[in-house]
Amino acid sequence: MSDSATTARAAPVPSPVAGRTSTLGVRDALRLALREMRGGLSGFYVFIACLALGVMVITAVGALSDALTAGLARQGEMILGGDVTVARTHMRASDTERAWLDERGRVSETATLRTMARTTDASEQALVELKGVDGAYPLVGAVVLQSGATLHVALQGDTDGRPGAAVDPILLERLGLKIGDRFRLGDLEVRATAAIVSEPDSLSDRLTFGPRIFLAMEALEKTGLVKPGSLVRWRYALKVGAASGSALSGDEAARIDTFTQAVKRDMPEAGFSVQDRRDPRPRVRRTLERLQQFLTLIGLTALLIGGVGVANAVQSFVDRRRKVIATMKSLGAPQKLVFQIFLAQIAIVSLVGIAIGLALGLIVPVSLHSLYADVLPFETQLTITPASVAAAAIYGMLVALLFALWPLGQAELVPPAVLFRDAVAERRGWPRPYLVALIAAIAALLVLFVVMTSESQRIALYFVAGLTLVFALFWALGAWVTWFARRVPRPALPELSIALANLGAPGGLTRSVVLSLGAGLSLLVAVALADSSLVREISSRLPENSPNYFLLDIPKDDYDRVVGIVRGVAPDAAMARAPMLRGRVVSLGGRPVDQIKAPPEAEWVLRGDRGLTYSDEVPEGSTVTKGEWWGKDYSGEPLVSFEAELAGQLGVDVGDMVTVNVLGRNVSARIANLREVNWESLAINFVMVFSPNTLSAAPHNVLATVTLPKDTSLSREAEVARAIGRAYPTVTAIRVKDAINAFGAVFGKIMAAVRVAGSVTLVAGALVLAGALATAQRRRILEAVIFKALGATRRRILSAHILEYVLIALATAGFAVAFGAIAAWVALEQVMDVAFAFSWSAVAQALALASGLVVVFGGLGTLQVLRARPVPYLRSE
Amino acid sequence: MDQSSGHSTEPIIDIAGVGLTLTSRAGAVEILRDVALSVTPGQSVAIVGPSGSGKTSLLMVLAGLERASAGRVTVVGQDFAQMSEDELAAARGRDIGIVFQSFHLVPTMTALENIALPLEFAGRTDAIEVARDLLTEVGLTDRAEHFPAELSGGEQQRVALARALSGSPRLILADEPTGNLDGKTGRQVIDLLFGLHRRHGATLVLITHDESLAARCSRVVRMADGRIVADEAGSATTPQAAAQ
Repeated sequence: MSDSATTARAAPVPSPVAGRTSTLGVRDALRLALREMRGGLSGFYVFIACLALGVMVITAVGALSDALTAGLARQGEMILGGDVTVARTHMRASDTERAWLDERGRVSETATLRTMARTTDASEQALVELKGVDGAYPLVGAVVLQSGATLHVALQGDTDGRPGAAVDPILLERLGLKIGDRFRLGDLEVRATAAIVSEPDSLSDRLTFGPRIFLAMEALEKTGLVKPGSLVRWRYALKVGAASGSALSGDEAARIDTFTQAVKRDMPEAGFSVQDRRDPRPRVRRTLERLQQFLTLIGLTALLIGGVGVANAVQSFVDRRRKVIATMKSLGAPQKLVFQIFLAQIAIVSLVGIAIGLALGLIVPVSLHSLYADVLPFETQLTITPASVAAAAIYGMLVALLFALWPLGQAELVPPAVLFRDAVAERRGWPRPYLVALIAAIAALLVLFVVMTSESQRIALYFVAGLTLVFALFWALGAWVTWFARRVPRPALPELSIALANLGAPGGLTRSVVLSLGAGLSLLVAVALADSSLVREISSRLPENSPNYFLLDIPKDDYDRVVGIVRGVAPDAAMARAPMLRGRVVSLGGRPVDQIKAPPEAEWVLRGDRGLTYSDEVPEGSTVTKGEWWGKDYSGEPLVSFEAELAGQLGVDVGDMVTVNVLGRNVSARIANLREVNWESLAINFVMVFSPNTLSAAPHNVLATVTLPKDTSLSREAEVARAIGRAYPTVTAIRVKDAINAFGAVFGKIMAAVRVAGSVTLVAGALVLAGALATAQRRRILEAVIFKALGATRRRILSAHILEYVLIALATAGFAVAFGAIAAWVALEQVMDVAFAFSWSAVAQALALASGLVVVFGGLGTLQVLRARPVPYLRSE
Repeated sequence: MDQSSGHSTEPIIDIAGVGLTLTSRAGAVEILRDVALSVTPGQSVAIVGPSGSGKTSLLMVLAGLERASAGRVTVVGQDFAQMSEDELAAARGRDIGIVFQSFHLVPTMTALENIALPLEFAGRTDAIEVARDLLTEVGLTDRAEHFPAELSGGEQQRVALARALSGSPRLILADEPTGNLDGKTGRQVIDLLFGLHRRHGATLVLITHDESLAARCSRVVRMADGRIVADEAGSATTPQAAAQ
């Protein structure tokens, strides 16, 4: 109705508003929306909960990550032990190099290596991480000892001339020692003088496998463990003049940059890796970023699943308001205004959900900080960046709009005739084209936002594609189940036919339950199947002939004697060896590594030290897939064999040059062939195997494996290690089973954490389920009352409901298992190269979870249905 | 089935001293007071009265959907006061058909399925065939696979009528069956209801505001303020007469 028409008709009756009409704007819509909302938020609790849950997870992840990142950045100097460090394996800094470093600031030298600590009678031994320190260590912070003494006092020798050692208390327990007792490190007997409480720069050393021992550098030199070729990591921490503890000034940062450039300029082939306090642990930082991305994506999944709940809530809200909408229209409200009024209400409710999610999300790091702050190797900083909060809020708003706009579009299409013909079937068509375009634009914006804010855009894109596929599949599945339930011939059992009718009902639970529970369940099934396959791979599928021990740092000329010692204890022991050096990749195919953009799964090859070896034969467990292996006694151009899959990921091929820095010298070799390696065989294998003429002249030790016959007793197995220890105190024996168990334990914790994170999606699914049931409750009660009026017993109604729930749970869980298994299969077989193993317990878990959730929530509803008094429902309005 | 002749003279409805008191926030409300009614098989009884006079409540008590607070309720030969909720449901399934003003069809089921439902509850294996015959009887053969939302009000009420009759009940209780229909459709539905009553010989208890409709019944019971204030003969004395 036009304004002029209104005025014309109003003319005969004096009206206070006649002549004061104006176009209604957004403010009017907001005013009307607030007036419309006087009834409160009832009907929106599930909407709010769905949104709050997803936003909470994303906020919490962002805030936690902020706290950890801020902690890392603020304590970079402490974590690094200085402003900057240079480090390399095998070779201590030469006198010239040391003088060069000393010219540029205060220097502290440390040497870390993995070795065995043994009791004086060699009856007990344990793998340890030994750290030799000079008098200047630590340049920043302090090593805290239980006794309260300083580190250097603890490391002083006793009156008998035995050096002191500060040890991790775990070592004392393992070797059955107490403070004051003596034990052996290599050729040297030391005295445990103090127990370590904390170490300032522990994060700077590589992943540690054993307990820490501190020794003075002079004592370390006497252990016989530091020889040319030993796997010792030498690290030099420097203070180059930046103030301690505070943020870096521009000047100070420039000084660090100058130093870094000078290392490259003055010692180009030294093979030092340089790190500075602004990014003290790039690997930890990258791991954090990746973890944040993974958890954010989980949060987003929960949010999107919750989106189904949002859509359902808006749909039922619009349905409840049909008469109000029709009344507004009959009173002259244009479509646009109706849409704006309801959009404003949804926006207000969304803001409430987002605000609750943000508040809860911000509480998580605070409570975790108070509970777990002591466990982390560095202090976290309770800083929350506006970016994290904004990201969570933007995710929340985009998802709310994405799911709310379609049902809102139905609101503006409600015909005023609804007021007169209530029973007329409502037809739910598409919203108007501009709204469909808007929904598409919001979806695109959401994808763009996910991709732009992700650390790995490729993974984010895969995730978006995967999630879209899962949603599409479960949406289609829901539609199919509905269709199928309608088509299936009517069974004779009335309970079953009622259950099928409910499953096939146009506005029934089927679609939203299948979609919301299915997506979450698929994720959990995929995780559970990946978990069980990996555990099986790690433990039960160890090859028959997997070795019992890895022996590190055997002097190459002593290998035959070591074999003799092993055979003395276990005559049938099989042994294999490989020369072992460590070196850093300098360039690949002529490109320096810092210019190579490697995919995340191959990045590790380029960072830090890699194990290198040489061989005149193809190593056991390897197959040459391209190119030729060099012959025995080859003496031509230096050659290298590269692992085929990594070569592909790093973009190198046969004929390309590889340069590695070994012992402070750049060594270049041409790729002669590519190998496929069966890593699971646990035979000695390396990414790069050189032709012997390339590396054999460099001082190095040998890595060996000892494989004992299957029926070897545990005591004999232990005796092998003790016998080696007695004759070669500097040789480290790592028991494969212990290493695998240790890895298995860490892996188990990681998978448990992934499952907990993944269950958030199931919680979202449960919320949607609860919402869908609540919406359908009135209809279900009325239906049950009609059934009672037609002669149905309560047992019959209960059976029909149970059948409906069981059918819906079975369909959802069945397909979730199928999709989850396919996803796990792709991840395991195609990405991780691990054999996929189906696990019935994972299937049982999915079934139990699905039916548990549906039956619990549905059961609560059914209880109400059965208790309902029929009369109020049967009386006409 | 024809029970119009030779049927037992034992009343199909026999209630006395029936009271119904409901508690609301404002206190106890007496809905029915000392109601007594006896209906013999084959009769058609119209219950008329102003809104709030207790007509629908009386019907609900007769259907066993509401328990009387006082008095004796014997319907289709059963003492409702002594029966459990499920026994009452079984009795309805066997002997009583109910027609509601708002039709109350099951929205998730087709017209045919709605009609078959009471038969299925009773364990009849020929439920669908019988339902199809009834659908034809109410003139909706071509609407068999339609859901209630796809039917007009008149069509929905015809389905509800067929459903009420599907179990060959001895007693049909109709609560203002034309209340939600326009005049013409309402008349068609009433003609159908009385036709079915005649053909099936079931006792009919009908709540209505419409005096002309009440007059088509063999008996008119008037209610006011929860009591029966008058019980008089209608113009029809037999089901056949009522159907005309």
